Amino acid sequence: MELTAHAAAGSANLTGATFNFAPGDPAGEWHSQARDYANTRYSTLDQIDTSNVKKLRIAWTFSDGTEGGHEAAPLVVDNTMYVVTPFPDVLYALDLTKTGEPIKWTFKPNPSPMGKGKACCDSVNRGVAYADGKLIYNLLDDHTVAVDAKTGKELWRTKMGNVETGETMTMAPFVVGNKVYVGNSGGEMGAWGWIAALDVASGKELWRAYSTGSDQQVRIGTDFKPFYEQFKGKDLGISTWPAGMWRHGAGTVWAWVSYDPQLNLIYYGTSNPSPRVPDQRPGDNLWTSTIFARDANTGMARWAYQTTPHDRWDFDGVNENILLDLPIDGKMRKALVHFDRNAYAYTIDRTSGEVLRAAPFTYQNWSSGFDRKTGRPTVNPDKEPHPDVKLVNVCPPDLGGKDWEPAAASPRTGLVYASIFNLCMDLTDNKVGYIPSTPYDGMNIRRFAAPGGNLGEFMAWNPATGKKVWSVKETYMTMSGVLATAGDLVFYGTSDGWFRGVDARTGKVLWSQKVGSGIIGQPTTFLGPDQRQYIAISSGVGGAAVVRADINAGKPAAFPAGGNTLYVFSIGGDSVTADSKLSTR
Amino acid sequence: MRVTVRTLCAIGITLGLLFTGACRRSEGGSATTPPATGFPATNAITTAPLGQVAGASGNVTALSIANPFERNPQAIEQGKQLYIKMNCAGCHAYNGKGNMGPDLTDTYWRYGGLPVEIYKSIEEGRPQGMPSWGAALPPEDIWKLVAYIESFGGSVSAKDYEHARQGDQPGEQIAPEVLAQKP
Repeated sequence: MELTAHAAAGSANLTGATFNFAPGDPAGEWHSQARDYANTRYSTLDQIDTSNVKKLRIAWTFSDGTEGGHEAAPLVVDNTMYVVTPFPDVLYALDLTKTGEPIKWTFKPNPSPMGKGKACCDSVNRGVAYADGKLIYNLLDDHTVAVDAKTGKELWRTKMGNVETGETMTMAPFVVGNKVYVGNSGGEMGAWGWIAALDVASGKELWRAYSTGSDQQVRIGTDFKPFYEQFKGKDLGISTWPAGMWRHGAGTVWAWVSYDPQLNLIYYGTSNPSPRVPDQRPGDNLWTSTIFARDANTGMARWAYQTTPHDRWDFDGVNENILLDLPIDGKMRKALVHFDRNAYAYTIDRTSGEVLRAAPFTYQNWSSGFDRKTGRPTVNPDKEPHPDVKLVNVCPPDLGGKDWEPAAASPRTGLVYASIFNLCMDLTDNKVGYIPSTPYDGMNIRRFAAPGGNLGEFMAWNPATGKKVWSVKETYMTMSGVLATAGDLVFYGTSDGWFRGVDARTGKVLWSQKVGSGIIGQPTTFLGPDQRQYIAISSGVGGAAVVRADINAGKPAAFPAGGNTLYVFSIGGDSVTADSKLSTR
Repeated sequence: MRVTVRTLCAIGITLGLLFTGACRRSEGGSATTPPATGFPATNAITTAPLGQVAGASGNVTALSIANPFERNPQAIEQGKQLYIKMNCAGCHAYNGKGNMGPDLTDTYWRYGGLPVEIYKSIEEGRPQGMPSWGAALPPEDIWKLVAYIESFGGSVSAKDYEHARQGDQPGEQIAPEVLAQKP
């Protein structure tokens, strides 16, 4: 671990960034994966701060016995913690009022085992959403379920797809009012990508918007006003593809949704195009690797912006969109901050889709720059793959400069904090045919560390200027979410099993704890019934490549094994104590 | 609908996809001369049980069925081409070390690592996402795939079926950094 800091001391907001705290969940609870509509993952709790974080100790732990990658954040509602496992997607309710935080109830949804072999990147689940007394989440076998938060009883179950086609579901549902938004996975399987809105009360599907196909299928109508010319025209979700190939063109919706209550728009990104071999699908391949803004009620698209046209490297555009209001060039802008897998950080006007800032946040060589006029990246022709030709040293690889693991933002510092990668690949494309139920893939990849030799990095980013403020280099991968708190702390984990608390202003690592497995989960914080602040993180490595020994980047021996433990920390390790029934004689 | 290679070829051609290698093979036979011993009879393969035979011990002769293409370089090469064209590589990786699907190079086999067991896993499919290829590929192609998988070195010899069932396999050292220091 090496700190490269351009210290940002003091107490000022360095960028002028602010955001809307809606829906205003109780400060001591955590109801959705991103905590707020703006997707900031920021908590106003400040009992734990830069002065006492070094006293954090383990208060209690919980193991769910599953081996898959643990990517979800636990929720806390009404003194109960809710934890969902990777396949078989079991949901536990833990009673926080009792010593040892015992299991209150368990919900076993019994998904089909078939999904295990259809999910590209491990049988993960990115978490649960709480709304209106219900816990809503997606099963790997393409069902969305709602469970009574008090009792663990199934309230409704909606079949959203057919796992036999290779389509799965791994993303966390996102709730606004009486609607819950869900999307599919399967960008490596030629699945047809979509987002859908379901009724929170009944699970009934209200609308579904596909990522490729006709304007009607994509829900593009007269109020669609994209900023750039290449997004204007009829049925571009068909005409930017060779005949018929849009139908298995992916654009799946497997990560995050955010929401602006004033504009009443939801924001999300779509996956890579299928097949992953670009020479088989000449064209821009709209609307893959694209950020969409849609009317939250009707699902009709308002604007779209494709981050990687004709995506040749499996970059996707699914990463989180953090909604910040920012002064840019002397003017306050309603912005959206997005660290794309293509290694560019975008600050985009979220009312119009205009790119205000686009700058690389990690090492990349696929692009030689960004054209502000057209909104297109300039592709380096040396890094374009062609079938049966070995291409060396393409950066970043398919995992991107940052993957799905969500960043956090602090309104105290005005900065955004992200776990990012420092990776390259050698790549040989092999032409593929579409065979239902099998991968529609074709990329033969070897991944390795980019210059510097470190695989991971944790950074603070100024979204107003598009510049890195400081970063902590990590030997192993950093594929965890980030938590930012009012104690001016940020927390993240590493794939070799370190959980760290960092000064949000200077980047100085103030506290580290080694845990049992690698961390690819999302840290959260909450108040216990004792009004004490706790920090929680799941360990249990898995998920995509390079985080495990069996698919590694050349540093094999020290990769920890999988297997889950949830860790909950407090100052001194203190926790809720109740009367003990044990007696010693 | 049962998907055969022929229907897949039709779909592939309709969509302008590249599928020609596999289509040629399924419609015109193979360039590899079948070995003199011929292919194992289908009913012999059917009698190879996935689990232990209840109440019995010792020999289960069907398990000792050898791959007619074992160590046949031509068949291994054609198996490799099939492995790529049938999208096996998408799940089990181009080097066979697994990703969505299990590692095929190590010595752990959930459904057995004998040639006939690997054959049956390909032919029948398995519940955690492995499709059944029996309707899409002729036995000859499945045996070629088995030959290619055997060439990874992790499978079990047909003669060794007792060990395959009862253990007694050598252990593995996983410490490449230590190995790299050896003179």
